Amino acid sequence: MDGSMIVNSLAAVLIVTSLAVTAARNAARAAWLYALQSLVLVAIFIALAAAHGADELYWWAASAFVTKVVLVPAIMLRALASLPVKEDLPCVLKPAWLVLLAAAIVGLSCYAVSSVQLALVGPLKPALGISLGHFLFGLVCIVSQRSILKQIFGFCLMENGSHLTLALLAYKAPEIVEVGVATDAVFAVIIMVLLVRRIQRTLQTLDVRELTALKG
Amino acid sequence: MNHVELLSVLLLVPLAASLLCFGARLLGSAAHMAASLVHAVGITALLVLAMFAINEVMTAGALDALDGWVRVDSLGAIFLGLIGVIGFITGLYSMGYMNHELASSEIDAGQLCNYYGIFNLFLFTMLLAATANNIIMMWVAIEATTLGSTFLVGFYAQRSSLEAAWKYIVICTVGVAFGLYGVVLVYSNGASVLPHPGDAAFWTQLFTHADTLDPTLVKLAFVFVLIGFGTKAGLFPMHAWLPDAHSEAPSPTSALLSAVLLNCALLVVVRFYMLTVTSIGPSFPQTLMMVFGLLSVAVAAFFIIAQRNMKRLLAYSSVENMGLIALAFGIGGPFGVFAALLHTINHSLAKALLFCGSGNVLLRYGTPDLDAVKGLLRIAPLTAVLLGAGALALAGVPPFNVFVSEFMIVTAGIRENHTGLMIVTLLLLTVVLAGLVRMVAGTLFGPAPEAVQKGETGALTLAPMAILLVLMVVMGVRAPTTVTSLIDKATQIVLSGGARHEARVASAAVQEATVENATPPAQTAEQAGRQ
Repeated sequence: MDGSMIVNSLAAVLIVTSLAVTAARNAARAAWLYALQSLVLVAIFIALAAAHGADELYWWAASAFVTKVVLVPAIMLRALASLPVKEDLPCVLKPAWLVLLAAAIVGLSCYAVSSVQLALVGPLKPALGISLGHFLFGLVCIVSQRSILKQIFGFCLMENGSHLTLALLAYKAPEIVEVGVATDAVFAVIIMVLLVRRIQRTLQTLDVRELTALKG
Repeated sequence: MNHVELLSVLLLVPLAASLLCFGARLLGSAAHMAASLVHAVGITALLVLAMFAINEVMTAGALDALDGWVRVDSLGAIFLGLIGVIGFITGLYSMGYMNHELASSEIDAGQLCNYYGIFNLFLFTMLLAATANNIIMMWVAIEATTLGSTFLVGFYAQRSSLEAAWKYIVICTVGVAFGLYGVVLVYSNGASVLPHPGDAAFWTQLFTHADTLDPTLVKLAFVFVLIGFGTKAGLFPMHAWLPDAHSEAPSPTSALLSAVLLNCALLVVVRFYMLTVTSIGPSFPQTLMMVFGLLSVAVAAFFIIAQRNMKRLLAYSSVENMGLIALAFGIGGPFGVFAALLHTINHSLAKALLFCGSGNVLLRYGTPDLDAVKGLLRIAPLTAVLLGAGALALAGVPPFNVFVSEFMIVTAGIRENHTGLMIVTLLLLTVVLAGLVRMVAGTLFGPAPEAVQKGETGALTLAPMAILLVLMVVMGVRAPTTVTSLIDKATQIVLSGGARHEARVASAAVQEATVENATPPAQTAEQAGRQ
C-alpha cells in the first residue's frame, strides 16, 4: 500500500468517526470519539509527511495532537463534569439517515473537487473530497443536535475538515499558519464552553429547543 | 513616527486599553473612574492615530508593517477610519449609557470594567481584520471579533441575551469556518503556483499572481468566503444571528456591531472578490454578490415594515443596507464600487446614530417595544429630534448622506444595464422608507406614558448623536474632498483586478487571432505540398 492509499483510507476512517461523534448518545462519549477522530487526523498528517518527505507535517501532527487529541476533549469533559444538571439529549436524526447524508455529502464533495487541476493533489483527490465532505458534515452535526454542548463538536468537525484540506493542499505552509488555526479553534471552544455554562446556570437546561425566546 | 511604529501603536493602543480596563477591577472603589479614564484615553488615541494613518496613506501611499502581515491601503483606510470615528463616538456614548446603567444598578463597577475591556478588545480585533494582509490572519481576526464580542452580546446575562449570544457565536463561528475553508483553498492554491510558496498567505502577493490560480478552486473558494464572511456581514440567508445579537446587546455595542463589524467582514469579502475577479473575471463573483445583495434587501424590507421592536427593526435595516452595499459591488464599474464604498460610510454614520438613539429610548422607556414607546418628543425632545432626523436620513430622505449613496447605487445599476433590477430595488427601498417613517411617527408623536420620566439622558448620550447627525448632513450636502478622494483611490484599487483580467482576455484574443491569421498560409503550403 503506497502513501496516497494510506492517506485516502485514513480519510475514509475520519468520516466514519464523524458519524460516530454525531450519533453519540451523550456529550462525554462524543468527546472521547472526537479525541479518536483527532488521532486519525494526526495519523493522516504523519502518513502525508512520510509520503511527501514534508517534515513540516510532523510538527502539524504534534500540534494537532496537543490541541485536538488532548486539549479540546479535556476542555469538553471538564465542562461536562462541572455542569450541575446532567442531560442526555440525543441526536435528532437516526444513524441510518446520518450515514445516508454523509454518503451524499462526500459524493458531492468528491464531484466538486474532481476538476481541480493542481499537480499536488493527484492521487489524493479522494482524500480532498472527503476533507470537504467532512467539513460540510460538521454542519449536519450542529443542526442535528439538541444539546448545545454537543453542537460545539459540529464546529470541531468542520475545523478538522478544513485542517485536513490545508494539509493536503499546502503541507509546506509555515508552522505559524497551522498553529494560528489550531489555537483559534481552541479559543473558540473555550469561549463556547464558558457560554454553555452560563446558559445552563440561567436556563437550567442545555436543550436547544428551549432557546426560542427570540423570534421575528 | 515611521509606518511600522504608527501601525504597531495603532494596534497596541486598544489592546493595552482593554487589558488596563480589565485590570481596573482590582482597584476597588476607584475601578469605575480608572476604567472610564483608560477607556476615554484609548478611544481618543485610536481616533487620532487612525486619522494620522489615513493621512499617511493619502500622502505616501499604502503603509506596510510587520513583514507585510499588516497593511493599510486606500481601501483599508476607509474601514480604519470607520473604526476610529465610530469607535470613538460609540465609545463616548458608552460612557454616558453605562453610567446610567450603573446608577440604576443594572450593572456593578466590575461589570463596567469588563464592558470597557471587551469593548476595546473588540475594537482591537476589528482593527486587526481591517489591517491584515495575511489571509489567514484575516480569518483569525474575523473569528476573534466573534469571540471578543460574544460576551458583549450576552452582557446582561438574561435568558434572551444569552440565547442571542449563543446564536451569535454558533452561527458566526460556523459561518466563519466556511470562510476558513475558502481561505485554506486560496492559500493552498497560491502555495502550489506562486514562485515562493511562503508568499501565498499574503493577500498582496496573491493579488499580484491571481491570474495563475486554479479557476475551479478560486470559484469554490469565493463561494465559501462569501457564505462565511457574508454570515458575519449579515447577508441573507446567513443573517439569522443579527437581529437577535443587535437587539439584545447594550445599545452602544449594537451600534458598533452594525456600523463597524459588518463592514470589516465585508472588507474581507471584497478582498477575495478582487482576487476572484482578477482570476476568473467579474461575471461569477458579481452575479453572486448581486443575488445575495438583492435577496438581503428584499427580505429585510419586509421584516422592517412588520417589526414592532425598535432595535430589531434597526438590525433588519443593517441587513438591508449590507445587501445594498453587496448589490453595488455586484453592479461593479467605477460608479457601482464608488457608491458601495460611499454607502458603507453613510450607513455606518446613520446606524450608529440610530442605535445610540434607541439606547436613549431604552434608558427612558425601559423597552424597545414600539407599541410602548410613544410621545418621545414630550419626554426627551432633543433625543426625539436627533432620532427622527437620523431615521429619515437612514430611509434615504434628502439632504442627508444615505440619499446620495442610494441614488448613486441606482444610477450605477442603470448605467450597467440593470434597469429592471433597480426598479425592484427602488420599490423595496420605498417599503423600507415606509417602515422607518412609521417607526418615527409612532415613536415621536402621540401621548407620552405617564410612568416614563421626562427629561434628556445627559450630554454624553446626546453629544455623540449630534456629532453623527452633523457628519451625515456634511456627507449629504458636500462630502469633504479628502473622503471622496480616498473613496476614489479605493475604487481604483478594487477595479484594478478586473482591468487586469480584461487585459489578459484581450491579449489572449489577439494571440488567437494571430494564430488564426498565420494558419491559412500554412494550410496553403500543406495543400500545395499535397498537390
